[in-house]
Amino acid sequence: MITFNGVTKRYADGTVAVDNLSLEVPTGEITVFVGPSGCGKTTSLRMINRMIDATEGQILLDGVDVKTIDPPTLRRGIGYVIQQAGLFPHRKIVDNVATVPLLLGWEKKKARDRAMELLERVGLDLKMADRYPFQLSGGQQQRVGVARALAADPPVLLMDEPFSAVDPIVRTSLQEELLRLQAELNKTIVFVTHDIDEAVKLGDRVAVLRVGGHLAQLDDPATLLARPADDFVREFLGRDRGIRRLSFLSAEGVRLRTDLLVPVATEAGAASTSARATGEPWLAVVDAGNRPLGWVAVKDLPESGTLAELEFAPYGTFVSGRDSLRGALDATLLSPSGNAVAVDGEGRAVGVATREALDEALAEVAGGVGGAVRGSGSVSVGGSDGSAEGKGGVGGSAGSVGGSGGPVRGTGSVAGSSGSMGDAGDAGE
Amino acid sequence: MSEEPLVRWDWIGRNWPTIQGLLADHIVMALVPIVIGLLIALPLGLAGVRWRWLYQPTVGVMNVIYSLPSLAVFIVLIPVTGLATRLTVMVPLTFYAMAVLIPAVVDGLGSVPDHVRQSAVAMGFTPLRRLLQVELPIAVPVVLAGLRVATVASVSLVSVGALVGRGGLGYLFIDGWQRQFYTPIVVGIVLVVVLAGVADLLLILAQRLLTPWSRARGSA
Repeated sequence: MITFNGVTKRYADGTVAVDNLSLEVPTGEITVFVGPSGCGKTTSLRMINRMIDATEGQILLDGVDVKTIDPPTLRRGIGYVIQQAGLFPHRKIVDNVATVPLLLGWEKKKARDRAMELLERVGLDLKMADRYPFQLSGGQQQRVGVARALAADPPVLLMDEPFSAVDPIVRTSLQEELLRLQAELNKTIVFVTHDIDEAVKLGDRVAVLRVGGHLAQLDDPATLLARPADDFVREFLGRDRGIRRLSFLSAEGVRLRTDLLVPVATEAGAASTSARATGEPWLAVVDAGNRPLGWVAVKDLPESGTLAELEFAPYGTFVSGRDSLRGALDATLLSPSGNAVAVDGEGRAVGVATREALDEALAEVAGGVGGAVRGSGSVSVGGSDGSAEGKGGVGGSAGSVGGSGGPVRGTGSVAGSSGSMGDAGDAGE
Repeated sequence: MSEEPLVRWDWIGRNWPTIQGLLADHIVMALVPIVIGLLIALPLGLAGVRWRWLYQPTVGVMNVIYSLPSLAVFIVLIPVTGLATRLTVMVPLTFYAMAVLIPAVVDGLGSVPDHVRQSAVAMGFTPLRRLLQVELPIAVPVVLAGLRVATVASVSLVSVGALVGRGGLGYLFIDGWQRQFYTPIVVGIVLVVVLAGVADLLLILAQRLLTPWSRARGSA
């Protein structure tokens, strides 16, 4: 565990980079420091391994004040990943990764073996080992940077905007790689970024810092999105906060209907009859292996023949018990029926989540947020911050639930016309 | 006299031992100042990086020295280091080498990217180890570029020493000029050019071997 105890960094010219910061970074978790430039996030990170020394206060590493440890020794026990990777251009990839083990006095062979093992672990082709950094792409270099930080198996990893210099697609894959590694390794990670989406995606806990080095809020991502502590955090979280929050809520509780699933071998007539019993205008057709094929509109069902002869409308699925509410909602937008097909891990249909079932789940989410929803409702209703305050005051608790539900319902209803489906998809990103 | 050929090979054959001696003398007087100049330029360059305020005055003094005509310096040095001694030639050449190499060392260390230096700090390099294992190796291509300039200049400047009695192959120019006999002049010019070329090639080769990692950087 890393503990910040009233830590302040004041420079000779009087600038305060970090102001009386107190927080705990729990062992085995990813804690993200996020904030605009000048908020002291990188300074805070670098005070942990003493690349910068705190002016006041203490930073404890498992109870030991870092100031009592000689800096090179301290740093060899803490992994560090920097923006642009910071690889040594004059050393081969394998030797770059072996750097810290060699500093720690390992035998050369052992250090290289360890380096090869790590290259494999971060998903790099071992052919890269004998190349020089300039021969690798930015994304590959950053993987090497992560491997190098992990080489001596340090319990703590500091990551200073490690993925901000690569393009968005590579960034996404690096982020996923990090989460995969973390699931295996359980390091104590402090991750600095200015990108709130990255913070929310990677962090077990997110510390939002404001300019001048004040801690504005420290919470898990779902809480952060649901209940921003103040206007600064709310503004920093940005648009679509309500929608993004759905990523952290499981779709498990959504009511599923099995009566809307019909096997493809069913006679059209029989399907018509059973459809009328359900009262729903669409049926989801599944194959013999229970895999979804698409939707049919009940009114289009012919008098005779089986469903196999029909054309199916497109469908969206989500994995029941694994995907988030956001995934389920997204799936409804992919189909003209407005319903989503729930599947199991093997892709077999287990039921249908209707728009109503999702609405119920969403209403529950919005209700659970309580007073904080006011902010969410007002942000989506009023564009500017000025009006947000005013609108927030108007809506009571009930009104704000409607406010939060509103945009969701809105997106749903445009899904029918294909032209606006793209917009709905973008809004969800 | 018009039948006199430009190069009389028989003269070369007869004087070959002398020419060899002059060549060896030339090599020593050209290269020792480079080695010593580099040895002095390294700490001075490091100091210039460490204490930024020191750098400009150092370069200023070096540039003034570099601007002094070599012949004048040789003559001024004669009372101190003696007439027709190697030292009289090598001392000024050492300063000329330093004038090129100190900025090369400073620029070379300046070519170490900031994120590389910081990651070295963050991984727990001690300052000395960081200098020796990270910063100096990365500075090598820039320092070698300076070394090539200094070496070629040094090889050519040694000849001027002939005017104060010790100029290696430069003696052949004086000799040929005084006797209006071109063979020694041609031999001198060819050998000086070949010597400079070989020295430069060796440095290029050294760069290839020492810094395989820097080859593609220019084109990238």
